[in-house]
Amino acid sequence: MNISRRNFMQVMGAAALAGPLGSAGRALAAGRDKELNILCWEGYNSAQVLDPFRADKGATVKAESLTNDPTMINRLRAGETKIWDLINVNNPWARKIMAPAGLIKPLPKDEFEPFFDTMLPEFKAPYRWAMSDDGKDLLGMAQRFGPYSFVVNTDKISRATAEEQGWNLFNDASLAGKYGIQESDDWNVFNIFMIAGINPFKTHTEDEFKLFSETAEKVFKGAKMIGDIATMNQALVSGEIDFQMTGGTYSVSPARADGYLNLRAITPLKGPIDGKGGISWIEITSTVNNPNLSPLATDFLKYVQAPDVAHTVAFAEGTFNPVAQMGNKKCFDLFTKDELDAIQWDSLEEEMARSAEYDIVPDYDKALELMTAAKRLRG
Amino acid sequence: MAVALDTSAAPPAKTAETMSISPGLRSASPVLILLGLGFLAPLITVAAYAFAAPKSFDVFRSFTLENFAAIFDPQNTVWTSFVWSLIFAFLTVVLLAVIAYPIAYGMNRMFGKWAGFVSVLFVFPLFVSENVRLYGWVLFFIKNGVLDGALKWLGFAGGPEVLYTPGAILFGMLYVYLPFMLFPMSLGIAMIPRDLVDAARDLGASRLMIWREVELPLAMPGILIGMLLTFVLGAGAVAESKILGGQSIITIAQDIEVAFTYAQNWPLGSALALILVAIVSGLALYVLSKLDLDRILGRR
Repeated sequence: MNISRRNFMQVMGAAALAGPLGSAGRALAAGRDKELNILCWEGYNSAQVLDPFRADKGATVKAESLTNDPTMINRLRAGETKIWDLINVNNPWARKIMAPAGLIKPLPKDEFEPFFDTMLPEFKAPYRWAMSDDGKDLLGMAQRFGPYSFVVNTDKISRATAEEQGWNLFNDASLAGKYGIQESDDWNVFNIFMIAGINPFKTHTEDEFKLFSETAEKVFKGAKMIGDIATMNQALVSGEIDFQMTGGTYSVSPARADGYLNLRAITPLKGPIDGKGGISWIEITSTVNNPNLSPLATDFLKYVQAPDVAHTVAFAEGTFNPVAQMGNKKCFDLFTKDELDAIQWDSLEEEMARSAEYDIVPDYDKALELMTAAKRLRG
Repeated sequence: MAVALDTSAAPPAKTAETMSISPGLRSASPVLILLGLGFLAPLITVAAYAFAAPKSFDVFRSFTLENFAAIFDPQNTVWTSFVWSLIFAFLTVVLLAVIAYPIAYGMNRMFGKWAGFVSVLFVFPLFVSENVRLYGWVLFFIKNGVLDGALKWLGFAGGPEVLYTPGAILFGMLYVYLPFMLFPMSLGIAMIPRDLVDAARDLGASRLMIWREVELPLAMPGILIGMLLTFVLGAGAVAESKILGGQSIITIAQDIEVAFTYAQNWPLGSALALILVAIVSGLALYVLSKLDLDRILGRR
């Protein structure tokens, strides 16, 4: 076609329409066997993890990373099940929310259950968080996990004191102005309950909410700053703050990998969740109930189980985390001493044992509302 | 399209259909469609969400005023976030007007051949993401950072503790929005004819009188556009309070963000956004209506 000044707009308009329609047509014609869309926490979207898979399958893999579970779940609820093939969120969502709501579909058990046998002992099949409520369906695969309570600068507060004092550090008026709060509001809801001495993962009474509200006001008022993970680590390193919540291996590992081994994730010795003082998370990756699910979704889940890829996932950009596949010696041997130090391998087992697993707060909405109101009183 | 452009070649007997759409409208239709889809559609969606059932995705399928009722509930303290945002936006506008005027004046009247270079200096930071620039300032102000470390090295007690305070937020806003005040203002000042200033001086006007009676009114359109731009941007600011201010105050943009993320209450977030749009555009229109543009533009 000749492009002249007269038909320029016509040609451009035709091209603008033909471009997307043309590629959509091709995609429909070819099915989705060369296309995979992943909704995940950061790490799975890194080139280190995705590029070998892309090259191997000759596929277009898109991954969008978000930093909170509710947003991801609600993207599916808002109708995006047609878009995504895999969703990677923390443990309770698959079993308690997404499977009952029909947002995800089960994995073929015979293909995937054997992977759990090579994982760390606590993940042996049937692993609770990977299974449906009735125990019949396998809803997802486990990989990254970690304790996630708070972080201290051990030059200022010893590990022993922090573990012994636990969440009471945040109740100590003399420590006001010496701590920061990471802006993960869902985790902060858990933590405010913990500081108030209340189990977060149950339905709460009016009195408990009153105490929650008072605690939130006090804790937020006493915080030197609220910010993201980078802000927290920077403030800990520079000495602006001595400790911070919410924090754990996930948040402090990048600083530890940079040599700041004086910064340490702490799990309190005791606390209000049936005696447990810490909270931990385990990611479960599930296949989305997509009417046109990419066949690459299950391929990808198998791909990340391989020892070398699991190691890459553990140390993908952003944050560094232990992975369940470390139960396999071939995977574990890939971790250097520095990497094990960064993820606090030395105390991981006892910290996980002292932590309750992340769960749904039945009255989260009300708690979040009270906490948001408490935050406004900072100004 | 070719037909639309080439009207002279069109046959004299047009059908009623082609008569009703003017060639201009037809030519403009791609842009109109683009604006409709890219600009109006999202706004309409937000407005529709504001009237959807709370914590649902029933947009265009439900209608309720519950979200607004929740916001105007006397128990709800979200109004403080509106107030903080508007106060900071107002302070930013006032301070930037004072800060930017001399620079804009200099760029037009005094810097001579350096004016272009100075403009580039102010434009250049815009090529770097706002967040990156703000984190840069964190490194500057943080304990043992650039300022504190350098002062200690020079034997002083150390830098002032400014980070994570409301003052740091204001500083960040002044820094980020300076170009948005400066360039419209500079254009406004460029519109002042030199002859008028010279004439006023010849007629015996003092320097202050020239500024007040000639320069300021003639530069006013530019100044007003700069003020409007910075106010609108300032009212929606969030990065400054998050990064430099450590959330020492909560802005309304942050409340909207929380509603859309952790609270997963898109209708509430949309209602807050709609109220913010109404307040900001209402204030802007009110201020513009109070100012006699004709007088300002000197067309009396």
